[in-house]
Amino acid sequence: MPGPGVAAYLILSVILFATGAFGVLIRRSPLIVLLALEIMLNAGNLALIAFARQTGTGSGQIFALTVMVVAAAEAVVGLGLIVAVSRRHVALDVDKLTTLRG
Amino acid sequence: MIAAAWIALFAPAAAVVAIALAGTSITRSVVGFLAAGSALVSFVCSVVVFVVLLGENPEERTHSSTLWTWLSAGDLKIGAEIQIDPLSVFMMLIVSGVGFLILAYAVGYMNGDVEERRYHAYKALFVFSMLLLVEAGNLVLLLAGWGMVGLSSYLLINFWHQRATAVAAGKKAFIMNAFGDATFVLAIFLLIQRTGSVEFDAVFSSGVVEHGSTAAVLIALGLLGGAVAKSAQVPLHTWLPDAMEGPTPVSALIHAATMVTAGVYLIARTNVLFELAPAIQDLAGILGGVTILLAGLIALVQTDIKRVIAYSTMSQIGYMFVAVGLGAYGSGLFHLMTHAFFKALLFMAAGIVIHALSDEQDIRRMGGLGRAMPFTHRVFVVGALSLAAIPPFSGFFSKDSILGAAANAGTLGWILWTAGAIGAFLTALYTFRLLFIVFWGEMTPFAREHLHLKRFEGGLAMAWPVAILAVLSFFGGWLQVPWGWDLVNEWIDPVAESAAEATGTTLVVSVVASLALAVAGILLAWRWYGRISDVPERARKRVPWAARTLEHKFYFDEAYDLAFYEPASRNAVFLTQYIEQPLFLAPLGELGSSVRAASRRLSSLQTGYVREYALALAAGLAVLAIVFILVT
Amino acid sequence: MTNFIVWVVWVLAALSLLGSGIAVVLFQNPFYSALALIGNLASLAVLYLLLAAEFVAAAQVLVYAGAVVVMFLFVIAYLGGRADAPWAGGPSPQSLAAIVAAAAIAVEIVVVIAMKAGDQLSTPAKVDDNFGSPAEIGRLFLGDHLLAFEVTSIVLLVAAVGGVILGSAVPRERRS
Repeated sequence: MPGPGVAAYLILSVILFATGAFGVLIRRSPLIVLLALEIMLNAGNLALIAFARQTGTGSGQIFALTVMVVAAAEAVVGLGLIVAVSRRHVALDVDKLTTLRG
Repeated sequence: MIAAAWIALFAPAAAVVAIALAGTSITRSVVGFLAAGSALVSFVCSVVVFVVLLGENPEERTHSSTLWTWLSAGDLKIGAEIQIDPLSVFMMLIVSGVGFLILAYAVGYMNGDVEERRYHAYKALFVFSMLLLVEAGNLVLLLAGWGMVGLSSYLLINFWHQRATAVAAGKKAFIMNAFGDATFVLAIFLLIQRTGSVEFDAVFSSGVVEHGSTAAVLIALGLLGGAVAKSAQVPLHTWLPDAMEGPTPVSALIHAATMVTAGVYLIARTNVLFELAPAIQDLAGILGGVTILLAGLIALVQTDIKRVIAYSTMSQIGYMFVAVGLGAYGSGLFHLMTHAFFKALLFMAAGIVIHALSDEQDIRRMGGLGRAMPFTHRVFVVGALSLAAIPPFSGFFSKDSILGAAANAGTLGWILWTAGAIGAFLTALYTFRLLFIVFWGEMTPFAREHLHLKRFEGGLAMAWPVAILAVLSFFGGWLQVPWGWDLVNEWIDPVAESAAEATGTTLVVSVVASLALAVAGILLAWRWYGRISDVPERARKRVPWAARTLEHKFYFDEAYDLAFYEPASRNAVFLTQYIEQPLFLAPLGELGSSVRAASRRLSSLQTGYVREYALALAAGLAVLAIVFILVT
Repeated sequence: MTNFIVWVVWVLAALSLLGSGIAVVLFQNPFYSALALIGNLASLAVLYLLLAAEFVAAAQVLVYAGAVVVMFLFVIAYLGGRADAPWAGGPSPQSLAAIVAAAAIAVEIVVVIAMKAGDQLSTPAKVDDNFGSPAEIGRLFLGDHLLAFEVTSIVLLVAAVGGVILGSAVPRERRS
């Protein structure tokens, strides 16, 4: 295979995943949190495709496509939630949405 | 005949079940008729059995019948077994006959009471239990009947359970009886250990225990304990006067005619075991003698009409204990029969008076009722003469049968004879004191205000059983006449051989002396209470301590309180304060509060901040990765 | 020669990938973050092409950049000014812990992969031209992974219904 080996792609995927995780943990706007979540999912997809190339089977690509579908669905629902929250005139701040406090 | 005996036993039980199941769908009078009718059925069956037994030879008059094996433990087999012999038939006739009359009387007495159905059901339950007791063929079934009559007594004493005094009286009766039951059971255990069986033939066969051995003494003592508690003899007598809290027919049936005589029946039935421990049998006689005197003295100062009759019951059962204590079983049972007649009669007459005065029982508020209530007055006189043992009334024959046996029984017999003779004097005195205060003299203002009468003063329903009992009190004694015939002794002989009675001069002396003392008692009562007299008042002022002791019933209640109740309640308080609270309740409370504190601390982790939850997830992932590296 | 071109493309794509990723996370304005996400997705598509997964690369651009990001932009436009949320205020223990956790995860995973699968990653398998083609993907979806195929359609249905419900719920009127 020309170019860097599969290991390079994997390291790339890991760094991207860590970036996404960092974003989820640190941002207060639910919109940005959802975007960072998308980044994490994509990092996982990259790892899957890399391994599919490594082993030569197509299952990894199928898995990646399925992950894409699920990520899209999740984005739909998440955005719906954000819209509903904003409709009730609640601040779009993750730190203010604490009604689940025990 | 066997079938008749079983029907006699189960008829009242069937009545109880029917009443319980029918509930309010049948009228109250029907309930009363059911209960009384079942007693009548029992009586008829008992008569049938009696007639059949009469036709047999005296030696063959013992039958037993087992329905099923009730308890089976190793070698010990206890069956649901009844025994039909002269003694049990004798008791069956009394229990069902007098029981029927009292149940019929109660239909009139309890008419209109709020919980009448429950009353009749309990009464029928009692008749069943008592019949079980007398018909039982083995000791354990007898114990079952014994316990059930105690239960029925408890249920009926606090029948009016809204009254605190009634509830306390019921508890007292039950607890004292329980003490007797415990000693009874211990005796049964000893017998089971010795013979491996509880059936009468096995237990009464010779060689079970040696004459005078410790085992024999213990067994007899246990049986005596049960008898003394059930029959309210000294020292376990304090429950009987309190038991007068129950309705009058209850007092008549349970605490005069039948239950309290169960102790006498027990001693007669187990006479073989008592004769193996003569010391205990003498003790029974002594306790009876003491009770005769004690109860007679206390009855002199009682002001409640029912309590006078209750102490009189105690005293008369003392006579029966004297009889069986000296081995004169026939005489004791004869007195049991006549006592059932005239004591029930007295109680029922008192019940008519109480009803007529709107439930007033204090004799100081009564007086001069003889003119207003002639029927009741006349039957009361019949009962009083019978109780005081004046011929030709029944009490005379039975009491003199006992005194005659006592006169023939050596030194102890003469001591008990003296007690019995003094007792005859006291009996006549307090009985006629009661009669004169209640029925003679001037009518008190209270009586004038509250008297309300029906036909025969209490209505026909209450009058006819009383009339029948009056007739029986008159004629019932002619079964056993001195210098004539003694049918009762002959009848009971196969089961319990009676000691011989005195004859000749001794008998004449005994009869004349006791009769003279009785007449003297009546005359003294007439002098002090029949006319206006201040002698009782002056006597009370002269010896106030005597009056006080009698009124406090010789301080038995106070002594028992001090000896048993105080230590027990102090103990309970101590245990609660120093053991239960610190050792059990406090740690439990601390456990609860510490769990609550821990959960509060844990719940503070749930801050509600999504980011913190996510951080926790990420941190967990990091830790797991390290673990993964280290482990594999 | 091919190798050199591939390396250059790879380095460029990797740099833009990481840069746009950091941009998504750090921008204040959500609109800019969404635009940075588009760049991220495009870089990913290039990397997929380098890994011979052509269909996945196409689907990535179509679905993600074409649909999901557009959806995000719609919502941002609908929310308008309300979408601007404050940054995480100041270095709090939360932010520090976040940095540490993310870094730890990254390092650990790399270590794990290196320790466990280091040797096996040197030679990738030989693949033919058919590897990432739509025909191959179609064959796999309708053959070995039919269940996944059907289930994803249900997932999409549920998401659509959920989106409609969440969006159409009319809030209760406030008492003024």
